[in-house]
Amino acid sequence: MWASIKIFAMIGWRNLWRNKRRSLVVITSMALGIFAMLLSMGIMNGMNNQMVENTISTSLGHISIQRKGFQNDMKLQNSFVPSKELKNILSDIHDLKAFTPRIKMDGMIRSSEASRGVLIMGIDPVHEKTVSKILEYTLGEAAGSYLTDSEASDILISKTLADKLDLLVGDKVVLMFQNLQKEIVGTALTVKGLYQSPIDSFDKYVVYTGLQNLQKLTGMGTKISEISIRVTHRKQVDKVVEELRNSIHEPLFTILSWKEMAPNLFRAVTIFDTMMYIFFAIIFTTVVFSIANTLIMAIMERFHEIGVMKSIGTSPNRIGAMVLFEAMNLGIVGLVAGIGVSVLIIALLAYTGIDLSFYMESMRTLGTGHIIYPALKSKDIIASTFIVLTTTLLAALYPAVKAARIKPLEALHHI
Amino acid sequence: MNIIELENVYKNYETHGNIIPALRGVNLQIAKGEFAALAGPSGSGKTTLLNIIGGLDQPTSGSVTVGNTRLNQLSKKAISDLRLRKIGFVFQAYNLIPVLTAIENVEYVLLLQGINKKDRLTRSKDVLREVGLEKEMYRPPHELSGGQQQRVAVARAIVSSPDIVLADEPTANLDQKTGAHLLAMMRELNLREHITFLFSTHDPMVMEHSKRLINLIDGRIVSDEIHSKP
Ligand SMILES: Nc1ncnc2c1ncn2[C@@H]1O[C@H](COP(=O)(O)OP(=O)(O)OP(=O)(O)O)[C@@H](O)[C@H]1O
Ligand SMILES: [Mg+2]
Repeated sequence: MWASIKIFAMIGWRNLWRNKRRSLVVITSMALGIFAMLLSMGIMNGMNNQMVENTISTSLGHISIQRKGFQNDMKLQNSFVPSKELKNILSDIHDLKAFTPRIKMDGMIRSSEASRGVLIMGIDPVHEKTVSKILEYTLGEAAGSYLTDSEASDILISKTLADKLDLLVGDKVVLMFQNLQKEIVGTALTVKGLYQSPIDSFDKYVVYTGLQNLQKLTGMGTKISEISIRVTHRKQVDKVVEELRNSIHEPLFTILSWKEMAPNLFRAVTIFDTMMYIFFAIIFTTVVFSIANTLIMAIMERFHEIGVMKSIGTSPNRIGAMVLFEAMNLGIVGLVAGIGVSVLIIALLAYTGIDLSFYMESMRTLGTGHIIYPALKSKDIIASTFIVLTTTLLAALYPAVKAARIKPLEALHHI
Repeated sequence: MNIIELENVYKNYETHGNIIPALRGVNLQIAKGEFAALAGPSGSGKTTLLNIIGGLDQPTSGSVTVGNTRLNQLSKKAISDLRLRKIGFVFQAYNLIPVLTAIENVEYVLLLQGINKKDRLTRSKDVLREVGLEKEMYRPPHELSGGQQQRVAVARAIVSSPDIVLADEPTANLDQKTGAHLLAMMRELNLREHITFLFSTHDPMVMEHSKRLINLIDGRIVSDEIHSKP
C-alpha cells in the first residue's frame, strides 16, 4: 500500500515537470495568489493592530478603574477619591506598567472665531505620559509644548482644532462646562501647545488641561473620573483585569478592559479577520479552475499512457490517486513558493512599514496612522495552507474521476 | 490443461448505426505452455480477439475463460486485477510509462501487486537481464531504441509470471533482425519459464517460428495448424 502511494506520488511528481512551462505558470499564479492573500492579511492585521494600539494609547488605556455608571453617563457625580490603598494595590500588580488619574467631562471651547463641543481631559502631566502617548503626539518647537503644571491655566489642543478655531500657541481661549453644582462655569486658558494623534476624530474632539486645575474649577476637590492603566503587553490585559477584580473589593468601582470600553472596536477587528478568510476562500476558487484546467490538459496529453497503465492492471482508483497526487504536488510547490516569498517580503515590509501618506486623510479617519506595519500571524499561514490544499484537492477531483473512467481500449488507440 | 477457452465468441461493433461483425463464432483452446500465432489479413479480427481474451473488450456473445476464470460476469475491478496478475500485455508500440525508467516500468507491475522492495528489485533485474538489457536498466524509454522498448515491454509482461502473455504485433515496428531477436527471446522464455504466448502477426518470419498458427479470415478461424519443426 505505502509503496504504491510512493510510486504514484513519484509518477505525479515527474509528470509535473514534463510540461515545465505550464506547471510553472500554475505554480507562479498560485504563489502570487498566496502572496496577495498573505500580504493583505498582513496589512489587515497591521491596520487592526495599529487601530487598536492607537486608540489605546491616545485615550482608552488598557484598563480603566471607574465608578460604576461612569461608562454610560460621564457626569462629574460619577467620580471618586483615589485612596492610598488603591494606589498601593496597583503598584503591587506584576505586569501593570503604569497608571494615571484623569477627569473626563464634556464642555465647550470658544475662541473669538468659533466654538466647539469638546471632551475635556484633566490629566496629571507627569503620570499621563507613562500611560498614553499624548506627549509623543505633542508637536514640537513653534507649536509650543506639552503641559507641565497640573495647576496651571494651560490647555493643550490639537492642531486640527487650533486651525478650526483660528488659534495659535499663546492665545487665550474660553472653556465652558458644568461644575459639580451643575452651574455653568467659564474659564480663560492659554494654549500651551498643539498635538496631532493618528486619529482624526480624536483630534477634533479632545482637549487637555491640568488635573488639579480642573479639580479646582469644578469644585471636585481630590476626586477623579478614572484611573487609566497601562500593562506591559496587550496580551496581559485579561490577566491583569482578573487580578484587579480579585484584589479590589470596593463595590462602587468597576474595572473595564479596552474591549469592554470600546466593544465596537473589538467587534470590528474580529469581523475584519473573519471577512478576510471568507474573501480569500472565494478568491482561491478561481485557482480551482486554473488547476483543473491544467490537469485536464495533462490527462488529455497522456491519454495513451493512461490506457497502457490501465491495460496492465492499474485500477481506476489508483489512476485517480495519481491525478490527485499530481495536483497535490502542484499545490505544495505553489504553497511553499508562495509562503516563502510572502514571509520574506512581509518581514521586510514589517520592518520598513508601508507608507500610505498619499492616502493619509482616510487613514487618519480609520485611526491607523499613515504608515502601516504588516504583521503575519501563524494562524494566517495555517489558514492559507488549509485553503490552498483543500481548493487544490477540490480542483483535482473532477480530472481524477475523468482519468479513472478512461476506457483502456479507447486510450490505447489514441496515439 | 487449457489456459484459454473461447466458446462461440461473437463480437459486433456498432458505428453510425452500422453493425460491423469483427468475430463470428470463434472457438479456441490454448493449452499451458503454447507458443501460438494469430495470422490473417488486416481487419480479420486478430486485435479484437486478443483484446477480448485480455478483458480489454467484451464479446457480444459467447464465453471466454482465462485460467479458471470466466470473464463474462466479472466487475471492472476484478478484470483489472486479472490483467494485473494473470495476463501480460505487449502492444505494437508505446507500451511503457514515459516518466519511469526501464527497471521502474518493470517494477511497477510488482509494486501494484504489493510485493516487497527487495523481491521487486531482484525479480526486475533478473527479467531485464533475461531480455538482455542489464546495461539499459536505468534509462527512460525515450533513450531506448524501439527494439529495446519492446524488450522492456516483454520483461514487464513476464515479470509477475502470468499465465499468459498476449502480444499484438510485437514485431511490427521493428526491423527484420531486431524482430527475429525479440521472437527468439520470447521463445526462450516460453521454453524456460513455461509462459504461454499468444501473439498476432503479419510477419511471415514470426509465423514460421511459432509452434501453432491460427488463421483468421473475416472473424472466423479458417485454419489451425501445429508446427512440429523446432
Ligand atoms: N472500435 C471499433 N469500432 C468499430 N469497428 C471496429 C473497432 N475495432 C475494430 N473494428 C472493426 O473490426 C474488424 C476487426 O478489426 P481488428 O482490429 O480486430 O482487425 P486486425 O485483424 O487486428 O487487423 P490489423 O491486422 O489491421 O491489425 C475490422 O473490420 C475493424 O474495422
Ligand atoms: Mg490489429
